[in-house]
Amino acid sequence: MEKKLKQIYEWVDNRVQLADLVKFMSKKYVPVHSRSIWYYFGGVSLFFFIIQVVTGILLLFYYKGSSDLAYESIRFTMSKVQFGWLIRSIHSWSANLFILSVFIHMFSVYFEKSYRNPREMTWVTGVIMFVLSLAFGFSGYLLPWNELAYFATKVGTDIVGAVPVVGDPLKYFLRGGDDVTGATLSRFFGFHVALFPGIFTFLLIVHLLLVQRQGMSEPMHLKNTAKEEKKTMPFFPNFMLRDLLLWLVVLNILAILAVFFPAELGLKADPLASAPAGIQPEWYFLFMFQTLKFLPAHVFFVEGEVLGVLLFGLAGVLWLLVPVWDRKSAKGQQNRLINYIGIFSVMFIIILTIIGWVLK
Amino acid sequence: MGIKMNYIPKLRLITIVLSIFIIQYTYAADDQCLSCHQGLDDKPSKLFIEDVHYKAGLSCSSCHGGNSNSDDMDLAMSKSNGFIGVPVSNSISEMCSKCHSDFDYMKKYNSNIHTNQFVKLKESVHGKLAVNGKGMMLQCITCHNAHGIKKANDPKSPVYPTNVPQTCNKCHGNATFMQSYNPAISVDQLTKYRTSVHGVLNSKGNIKVAECASCHGSHDIFSAKDVRSKVYKLNIPGTCSNCHSDKNYMKDFDIPTDQFAKYQNSVHGKAVFEKQDLSAPVCNDCHGNHGATPPGIESISKVCGSCHALNAELFSASPHKKAFDEKKYPECETCHGNHEILIAKDQLLGVDKGAICLKCHSENENQKGYLIAKEMKKLTDSLIVSDSIAKNMVFQAEQKGMDVEELKYKLREIHQARLEGRTIVHSFDEAKFKEVTTKGFKTSDTIITEAKAAVDEFYFRRYGLGVAVAVITFLIVMLFLYIKKIEKPKSL
Amino acid sequence: MDKTEINKAEKNDRRSFLKILLSGGLAGFAAITIYPILSFLNPPKQTEVEVNSVVVGKVDDIKPGDSKIFRFGNKPVIIIRIDENNFRALSATCTHLDCTVQYKKDEKIIWCACHNGKYDLYGKNVSGPPPRPLDKFNVAIKNDELIVSKEA
Repeated sequence: MEKKLKQIYEWVDNRVQLADLVKFMSKKYVPVHSRSIWYYFGGVSLFFFIIQVVTGILLLFYYKGSSDLAYESIRFTMSKVQFGWLIRSIHSWSANLFILSVFIHMFSVYFEKSYRNPREMTWVTGVIMFVLSLAFGFSGYLLPWNELAYFATKVGTDIVGAVPVVGDPLKYFLRGGDDVTGATLSRFFGFHVALFPGIFTFLLIVHLLLVQRQGMSEPMHLKNTAKEEKKTMPFFPNFMLRDLLLWLVVLNILAILAVFFPAELGLKADPLASAPAGIQPEWYFLFMFQTLKFLPAHVFFVEGEVLGVLLFGLAGVLWLLVPVWDRKSAKGQQNRLINYIGIFSVMFIIILTIIGWVLK
Repeated sequence: MGIKMNYIPKLRLITIVLSIFIIQYTYAADDQCLSCHQGLDDKPSKLFIEDVHYKAGLSCSSCHGGNSNSDDMDLAMSKSNGFIGVPVSNSISEMCSKCHSDFDYMKKYNSNIHTNQFVKLKESVHGKLAVNGKGMMLQCITCHNAHGIKKANDPKSPVYPTNVPQTCNKCHGNATFMQSYNPAISVDQLTKYRTSVHGVLNSKGNIKVAECASCHGSHDIFSAKDVRSKVYKLNIPGTCSNCHSDKNYMKDFDIPTDQFAKYQNSVHGKAVFEKQDLSAPVCNDCHGNHGATPPGIESISKVCGSCHALNAELFSASPHKKAFDEKKYPECETCHGNHEILIAKDQLLGVDKGAICLKCHSENENQKGYLIAKEMKKLTDSLIVSDSIAKNMVFQAEQKGMDVEELKYKLREIHQARLEGRTIVHSFDEAKFKEVTTKGFKTSDTIITEAKAAVDEFYFRRYGLGVAVAVITFLIVMLFLYIKKIEKPKSL
Repeated sequence: MDKTEINKAEKNDRRSFLKILLSGGLAGFAAITIYPILSFLNPPKQTEVEVNSVVVGKVDDIKPGDSKIFRFGNKPVIIIRIDENNFRALSATCTHLDCTVQYKKDEKIIWCACHNGKYDLYGKNVSGPPPRPLDKFNVAIKNDELIVSKEA
């Protein structure tokens, strides 16, 4: 048995030089220090993404992307298909946890200033992937074609329409018409299962290759520690096994959540019905939604909503370009401003999300 | 009139006292119009001296204008003296209302008299334009006469209770005339009325019984389809109860006065008053309206059957029909009552306490029916039990988050079997009854089986999760140990 | 054998035992992930989804003057072929007490067996206890198939 396995390994090794890869990975060392824990969230996010791909493909076997059939096909998947309820619940829970872990991953990188030279590209691909994750969530939310999704999409695309100049054409493009209809569903379905995954996968490959080439970023305070004093562990197998261990823990949590709090379907979307009370976007849009709600109708001749959208847009661009304007960190100097901005952002997001949740 | 007549003696006294003064005053003045026209021996002047207005001191000129003191005909009837001749169409009623709408003026004659008749008439169905398009369909004089107007409580008045039916019938019994207003309206109301208890007594001179105005109103008559009408479907019970629930008023008649109270409590009354259900019967749907009479014993099932057709049909074909007729039992009413018909509960059936069947059937007497009732009740009870078990199981499955839409759809069939059972019971045929209940039992069996499967599926999910978590946890522990192992310092 | 060798053998033993357990765990893990996925992919007995519009069947499945009751969501709907070319679809739930109605060919009415409620073929309640008409559905014929949908 063992012999056979060895033979197979050698057969493959002869052709693709597996040994080189193993050598490369085992020569790669991951720094060990008090903040090593944050290294794991990238891997956890990757794991969630893999789960999304697998369960998403499975759901595609039964999903029908039209306003007539979408709701019914999901109801069918959940009630008639064996484990259909489980696959959908996992897809739904994993989507939420994915975005949560991406948030954590991104902020940990930010606070460690790991985006500094030479990892600017990694940061930029990461931020784009983060935005794509939100887009994944937004487009996927509509696909069950239920009441909540329908109105959340209506409100969401309306906000897009508030962007000056490009807003209206963009809204029209997203909706595939003047209103949220079956055409919107078809579009979002296309975005969710073809366009976004394609772009995301490409970015993910670049992101991972960069991480492998450049290795893990070391915290700035270890810069002056002597090389002999620095603790490390081999990426393969030690770090990778730890990654795997965490993935399994996460999978366990995911299974428990999916069984005890299965994804709900609600009522079928009815474009003629009035919007149900307390209509809200998914939690990860809540802080933006709530901010727009709090803004006064007019601020210096500018509509509050327009101003809000512009501010969030500006913040996003600045966020994406942190490695460009944070010159100090690149030179290895401490930049307190970055920390203050980061703390402010985290507090802002947490507080407004809580307010949005409470004010439901 | 529709108003109750118990204050009449007092009214009469006042009138007599008043009349004494008025007559003295009237004869003192010399009315030249009247004296001249009396000389002509024409009809108006003959009638007018009988008129209540003449007795109250009014003269011809009060309505026709002119100067009644002048004995010069040209002067008396000249336009400069305000002579208007014969008023036509609406100006007739406007003339009457000049005084009759003036509360302070009318108070002098009778403080109880109403002053809103003209307003009411204008709003009423008779206040609409006549076919000639010139004025209202009715003017005051159409019903009250022009020159010989009497008080409503004067037996000679056309609006005295015993005369009202004939007065209304002048138009409403005329097919050609009514055709010009409403081709669908019937013209046989008087004929029907004369067959009714009300009509018969009315023709005998009883002024307490209902005539046209008692139910339709006098000045404020609306179409029966108008919600303001006293005979609009939802208002009928209240209209009838005006008299029929008044113990004092009904004391001359030997009938109960609790029908309205009972009806309000009944399934029909609740449908009418609580749900505003226009298809539920009110008084006249069983008793008739113009020909109001309690239905006869043998016709009860026909009356009830006009809505409850299937029940009546089944009953008429059942052995009970013959037995009830022989014993003079009033068909449906025997078991369900009349005014206070409650929702037919399953308890009516069977041989337990409170069951209707026991009235005639017992273990010793009419034993066959007793046994059938017992069996039917048994089937009904177990169907109820099956129904609630099935519902409960479906509920349990739903509580556990399982999709039970399909089972809920099937639950309808048990519901239907129960309802059909309540109908088919009127055949009093055990075999037919069983056929219906069996359908229900079969469905409840499948529902219970499928709901159990759904509940099992729920537990399967929980146990499945348990297994999965156990396996994954085991793997985690193993991996942990393995990592420990490979990271153990090589030097032992 | 000297001490180190014994130790080594013991260590090897333990290591291989752990390896066995680890492989067992992996096999179990594979089983619990693959089983639900395979079951999911296995087509369920009922292969079509229920929808807002229901394909009742071929036009010729219902003869002129006949009717058919079918499931629409979780409610029954009755479709009647009035003549060669005319179909009419109505809710089959009696508006009185929720029994299921049926078509009576001889009387040309829709009839409820529970309390003898009657509706005309437009769904209007014409006699008996039903308080209001039956809800209407649209019928369309596409490629010789009868499709019933909710009235907008």
